[in-house]
Amino acid sequence: MLLFRSEQHIDRWCNQWNRPRGGALTLIQGWKLAQLWYGDRLNPQWQPKTAVEAESVFQDVGLVGEFWKLTG
Amino acid sequence: MPRPDDFDRRLRLFVYRQMIRTGACPSIAEMSRSLKASPKSIRTALSRLSEGHAFMQQENGELWRVAPFSAIPTAFPVTLGRRSWFGNCIWDALGIPAMLGKNAHIGASCGCCNLAMPIEIRAGKLHSGPGIIHIAVPACEWYKDVAFT
Repeated sequence: MLLFRSEQHIDRWCNQWNRPRGGALTLIQGWKLAQLWYGDRLNPQWQPKTAVEAESVFQDVGLVGEFWKLTG
Repeated sequence: MPRPDDFDRRLRLFVYRQMIRTGACPSIAEMSRSLKASPKSIRTALSRLSEGHAFMQQENGELWRVAPFSAIPTAFPVTLGRRSWFGNCIWDALGIPAMLGKNAHIGASCGCCNLAMPIEIRAGKLHSGPGIIHIAVPACEWYKDVAFT
């Protein structure tokens, strides 16, 4: 997961690596995702998120669609 | 003899606390000494903890990923006061101040041209210039090749 200065630089990177375009999100979405994903990591009772829980986090950040699916 | 889940919880928190305090990931030998457990039981517990992908082990069993921290240098340095760590990717670099609830500076750069793209986290808010995060691999395939993802 990398940061790019523009859409053109993402396309250039994809060409260099011969990869199809993946998923993109804004830095604000990334920050919200990081807070939801890692905010409870020091809780002694922490458990890895299930696929359903992870999808719910993605949805909360506005990341929806086939690219973000983990279930069925 | 502690139950595996109790031991795993102690080990997980020990690794995080050491990482946060020292900036370095403890070795299996250090974990063994501090938790008064055999290296074999540490290795077994690390394997269990790695099943969830938050921890990931090198071929020799030592940790290279203690998400969001990287045990090895990366292109995502995170500075918090006088302390610094490395994130595994931009998501994890953002995850360090998110996890610690602290202000931080992330020395990010463009994945294409390496242009410096510094990010500041202050009072829970992100301050940066324009930038877009790109994930090359669909979510269902992230753990097939974590290093690339």
